[in-house]
Amino acid sequence: MKSQDEIVAARNADWRELENLISRAEALHHLDGPSISRAAALYRALSGDLVLCRARCTPDLVAYLDNLAGRAHSALYGAEPFRIPAFWSLLTRDFPRALRKNASFFALSSALFLIPCAIGIVLALFVPDAASQILPRSMLDGMADMYSKGFDEGRGEGADSAMAGFYVNNNVGIAFRCFATGIFYGLGSVVYLIYNGLNIGMVTGWVTAAGFGGNIGTFMCGHGPFELTAILIAGAAGLRMGHSLVVTHGRTRLGSLRESAPDIVRLVVGAAVMLLIAAGIEGFWSPSAAPPPVKWAVAALFSLLVTAYFLFAGRERGRAR
Amino acid sequence: MAEPARRLQPIDTTAEIETPEHVRFHYPIAGPARRVVAWVLDWLVRAAILLVFAIFALMGGFAVGDAVAELSAGLLLVIHFLLEWLYYTLWEIAWNGRTPGKRALDLRVVSVHGHPLRVGDSFLRNLLRAADFLPLGYAIGLVVMARDSRFRRLGDMVAGTMVVVEERRAVASTLRIDPPPTPKELSSLPQRLPLSGDELEAIELFLRRKEGLGPAREEELAAMVAPIFASRLGIRNKDSARLLALLHARASERRRPL
Repeated sequence: MKSQDEIVAARNADWRELENLISRAEALHHLDGPSISRAAALYRALSGDLVLCRARCTPDLVAYLDNLAGRAHSALYGAEPFRIPAFWSLLTRDFPRALRKNASFFALSSALFLIPCAIGIVLALFVPDAASQILPRSMLDGMADMYSKGFDEGRGEGADSAMAGFYVNNNVGIAFRCFATGIFYGLGSVVYLIYNGLNIGMVTGWVTAAGFGGNIGTFMCGHGPFELTAILIAGAAGLRMGHSLVVTHGRTRLGSLRESAPDIVRLVVGAAVMLLIAAGIEGFWSPSAAPPPVKWAVAALFSLLVTAYFLFAGRERGRAR
Repeated sequence: MAEPARRLQPIDTTAEIETPEHVRFHYPIAGPARRVVAWVLDWLVRAAILLVFAIFALMGGFAVGDAVAELSAGLLLVIHFLLEWLYYTLWEIAWNGRTPGKRALDLRVVSVHGHPLRVGDSFLRNLLRAADFLPLGYAIGLVVMARDSRFRRLGDMVAGTMVVVEERRAVASTLRIDPPPTPKELSSLPQRLPLSGDELEAIELFLRRKEGLGPAREEELAAMVAPIFASRLGIRNKDSARLLALLHARASERRRPL
């Protein structure tokens, strides 16, 4: 039976070598072939030492070996690299499939957004006093003023970029928060959807009441198909997350949550990409000087594209998924 | 998620990992304090990046004019967005579960089963920061962490991850008995010690820890067991710690020829 000191004396050189190998790179696959196989062999030998030492050595040596094994494990099994093909197949296949699979959540999230939106429009048009109780009047008038000029002359390119940046920051942030707060049993998503629906409806109604409905319509129609759909999808992902916490099908809440995670990731990543597209359109195309009929035609095309994408992309031939 | 079957384990903040090769090892799990410091460091890095870009944008605006100022304002907002939502994910993918702050504090994000972090899970755990942060300053995240045996915040729970500590440790040094046992001292001990393996192990553990103990504590601990061994051996116990060292020397002397 070897004593601890003898084990250390016999194996310390190998441990140091492994330590050097794994500290040379963040992940082992950045090293050359011989180094990788040497590290793997040393790691396997280390696992034997660990079993031996756990039975026979003092806790400080076991802790050292545990730690070395942990670091070698992390280096040996490096993180999955980001791959373009995987991302591409997410966009062309998995995202629309996930949305079709979760169509009921999408329908619920649409209802939670569109009904308050309709209420907002009606309130602003017919009960302006009530509307100005909910949103500050100065903000509503500011919006009406903003859309009073129309976009016949477009904006400067600099202003376009500034606004695109603003939209990326603001709208994608809203969508992400709308999703993330779904962890509170879906309640956060519900609140975000209703609040934003009411808000957008009321502003649209107010601007229309002020007589600039055409302007705000032609402005919003371009990016709307992407932006609103994406916010609804983010909301649907949040609702799905909350739902998995409530309806667990006999699993623990955490287990049920993890089960739904792959779908949730697909939905949120897809929504994020749509929002980036929307921000580009909103910054550069929507305020451009193109005549309204062209804008509406393009909007119709965008809507058709988005609808077709979600209906047909990623279906396998002869079989509906 | 298949939780490993619960066995009777000491209450400790470590997670046992079993790899595909059936290697078992333990990761110490990072607590809130360490993670808060890492977060602050990352926050400083993000602020510094934004500041550098802001200074460039400002200089560009003064030098060229309003068009550039607006362009760079847009760019700044995009950068702010990236730093807010993608900073953590980008680092965690590039550095295998670490951000600069986590690296500085020897932290790493791994899956609860010890596997490396995946892209989608990293994105998910960092999006959920928006929920953990509420109502302000990660209050919910900290409460959730405090209630979880693996210190997971909401984002970790959704993504199936945990944060572990990978601090480098030093290998245990060899045991030296100082001053070395004299033949006269050893001759007072019998050749075969009436001590069990567990008892010898406890003695070795004590001798290894001796350097880190104060003299009073050392004497106190030794005095708890030395008289028992002395009466079993039928010898006089003058110096408890010394007796334990001698017992260890005799035991390893007998073991060596094997």
